[in-house]
Amino acid sequence: MIRDGAWGARFGLSAWLVPVLFFGVGPLGVLWVRGLEFLVTRSDTAWSGEWGALSNTIVISTGASLLALGLGAPLALLLFRTDLPFRRVFGVLFTLPSAIPAFIWGMGWLSLASPRAGYLNRLWGTGPFDIYGVGGIAFVEGLSGLPFVLLAGAAALRRIDPALEEAARVCGASPFRALTTATLPLMLPSVLSGAVMVFLLTASSFGVPYLLGVSASPPTRVLTTRIYELVLMGGAEGLPRAMALATLLLGLTPIALGVMRWLGRGGRVRLGAGKGLSPRPMALGKARGPWVIAVSLVCAACIVLPLGALVLTSLQRSFGAPLSWESLTFTRWGSVLGSERARGALANSVVLATGAGVLVCGFGLSAAMLRRSSRGMVEALSVGPFSVPGTVLALALLVAFSRDWRFIAFERIAWVLALAHTPWLLLIAYAVKYLALGERNSSEGLAQLDLSLVEAARLSGAGPLRAFRDAALPVLRPALISAFVLAFLTCASEMTMSVLLVPAGSQVLGTLLFELQSYDDPAAAAVLACALVVLVLVGRGVLALGPRSSVEG
Amino acid sequence: MATIVLDGVVKAYGKNPVVRGLSLEVHEGELLSLLGPSGCGKTTTLRMLAGLEHPDQGTIDIGGTRVAGPGVRVPPERRGLGMVFQSYAVWPNRSVEANVAYPLALRRLARSEISERVRTALRWVRLEAFAERMPHELSGGQLQRVALARALVSNPRVLLLDEPLSNLDAALREELRAELAALRERLGTTLVFVTHDQAEALALSDRIAVMNGGVLEQVDAPERLYHAPASAFVARFVGGANVLPGVVRDGVFHCAQSEATFALPNEVARSEGPATLVLRPEDLELGTEGTPLPLAARLFLGNSVEYRFAVGTSLLRVVAPPMEGVRTGQVLRIRARRARVFAAP
Repeated sequence: MIRDGAWGARFGLSAWLVPVLFFGVGPLGVLWVRGLEFLVTRSDTAWSGEWGALSNTIVISTGASLLALGLGAPLALLLFRTDLPFRRVFGVLFTLPSAIPAFIWGMGWLSLASPRAGYLNRLWGTGPFDIYGVGGIAFVEGLSGLPFVLLAGAAALRRIDPALEEAARVCGASPFRALTTATLPLMLPSVLSGAVMVFLLTASSFGVPYLLGVSASPPTRVLTTRIYELVLMGGAEGLPRAMALATLLLGLTPIALGVMRWLGRGGRVRLGAGKGLSPRPMALGKARGPWVIAVSLVCAACIVLPLGALVLTSLQRSFGAPLSWESLTFTRWGSVLGSERARGALANSVVLATGAGVLVCGFGLSAAMLRRSSRGMVEALSVGPFSVPGTVLALALLVAFSRDWRFIAFERIAWVLALAHTPWLLLIAYAVKYLALGERNSSEGLAQLDLSLVEAARLSGAGPLRAFRDAALPVLRPALISAFVLAFLTCASEMTMSVLLVPAGSQVLGTLLFELQSYDDPAAAAVLACALVVLVLVGRGVLALGPRSSVEG
Repeated sequence: MATIVLDGVVKAYGKNPVVRGLSLEVHEGELLSLLGPSGCGKTTTLRMLAGLEHPDQGTIDIGGTRVAGPGVRVPPERRGLGMVFQSYAVWPNRSVEANVAYPLALRRLARSEISERVRTALRWVRLEAFAERMPHELSGGQLQRVALARALVSNPRVLLLDEPLSNLDAALREELRAELAALRERLGTTLVFVTHDQAEALALSDRIAVMNGGVLEQVDAPERLYHAPASAFVARFVGGANVLPGVVRDGVFHCAQSEATFALPNEVARSEGPATLVLRPEDLELGTEGTPLPLAARLFLGNSVEYRFAVGTSLLRVVAPPMEGVRTGQVLRIRARRARVFAAP
């Protein structure tokens, strides 16, 4: 009775921990142990072929992160530190690459630069571009990871005291020298951390390497696509070998996270407190014109071109047909989107993404609330799975729930948990992977919540639940809505885990897109991709305009 | 009859004791201030009264009913109290009217009665015209009044106020202080008021409980507290007195690490030996008699001047009428008209 507060917290913690451990950490642990076992006991037998996948993964991920860094860091300075015209518009455009699934960017680039049929190659005639292979994959992944470097740089610039640069000017440094000696070194840890994030995301990526690697000749295989092949057509030896590869892939995660943490620590020590800073944009002067043209060209080449190519492909009867105005038609849109398959996939995706969104919000909010009582653990458990490659997580769930689980309580009540080949496994995968979205948003919401609002409701006569509903929830609502929309959009277009976990005979949007593009009809896939892009843009737009204004009003 | 009785209340956060054995009675209808520096445990005490914290030891009774103690833990919503928070805690998504109506709506009163009582409460705090407004359209002072109306609307037997005026600017604070005093005359509710501002406590309270380091230093009426402080801490905190360490020898106080001496007036109790001398700035006189000290600084206060001197490692402040032609570094003589001596800590 006296300690009922503590009991309540302990009950809440276990109610949160049990499902998270059972469906998230547990399967990953099992996978890791069994993969390691295979690696140790059979490392010499017919294993040499797989090392290529590992080295490809590392080469591609390094290339992608270098590209994102090389493009993102200067862009961050230009967009967030100078008086470049239209910098706000550019800021929005350059965050698009991470909002739209990488696979769709890959499709766009394939339309542009596939060796024979790509528009660019047809335009030039000689066919100078080839998007297939290691270089192409790294290129596409690097561009779609660009926002991570850009936004990390922007966040750092917001925290760096402009007076540091002004001090350098007063000491006699030229504007350029002040920038490179005062601001750049302080910004570096953040953008490097963003680049490591791009490395991790590229290593986890499945769609682009499959699209631009596996179907090429000779094929380029990376860990994720190799795992996929082994699971689907590897035979008896396939699954254990896939688990071994997944263990290797999983091993990259803590390394990358460790590097990011280390970079973050260095950055935190040196950055200013970030209060009351009013960054005055650096004047570009006469260079404004050339810079705007340069940034516009980069923007056109990286974003407008592939999306335009995708739209163009979606308006054709089949990809590769001769281009002429007469051949363009919207008829494909109607027939593809209205087809039985597409409608079924859409319905499945909407149901699953809604369910996952609700779970993400519920568990994320609880995690954010439990954080105070159990500091590090809950946060690590809810954010950790986000950095686990989707392929690994899906494989772990596949292995853990390939057989039925039987529970017996009090020796009489028994129930069976049969998840294999059901949509439930997909729902679990989505919810576990994107739990971080709910936790992060809820934490930010809770940080803004004045606890005395809840206490005032208690003193007004409301019980704990009523007080939470009446006083806390209205304040948290925008954060929860934003978590839900983000989770919904991400899950609705998710591909990496879906291709491994979707039950035979049914489809979700991600797997439909994958199959149309890889096996059936790239033009039809382009239609679906365009529809997904519209969905994402509308969702993000609603998010940008919606919830925040409803608080004020 | 005492409305609130705290008996041996102890509260610690982790290993950090915040309230250490507090026993206190608040009488029916009185306004009692909990006064002390930040971290003295006054807010924690208030939160334990409200039911937002539970004491580790000791008991709390409100109106003859045990609300906290071994095996008893009445939740805040069933204590029938009103509370005003330092941050106002006005719900941003509800209008002024809806904020004030909330406690009544939870009691499932008839709609006509709710609107009647909400209107009365808003009249008390002079916000009738703002009933339809949303909180973000109001100023800080108005928000604080909404919080006050919300706390009063259900006619609580005790009203708790947690530094309600500290977020307001000086003029508004003055105004709300006067309104609070007038309201209290009219309503006759028991009030417990937490503040770190001694002027506020002296002006408003029937009695003041001075807390320091989780224990009570003194509970008394404002006049007694000011004129008869029970400890050097109370004298310094409530009256802004100078506190000097030293030794009493032959009716004269010798300051530590300094040549300065003060002849003690006859009525002051004078046990010989190590002691602490407490001198109010306005009880000191600059003139031709007393201990000579060089003037360290001079602060113009408007109707008077504060003269500062260094005594050993302590600061001695004297508030006196402005004098012509006094410069820093000049040696002035200081005499104590009144003084208090406490045994050395």
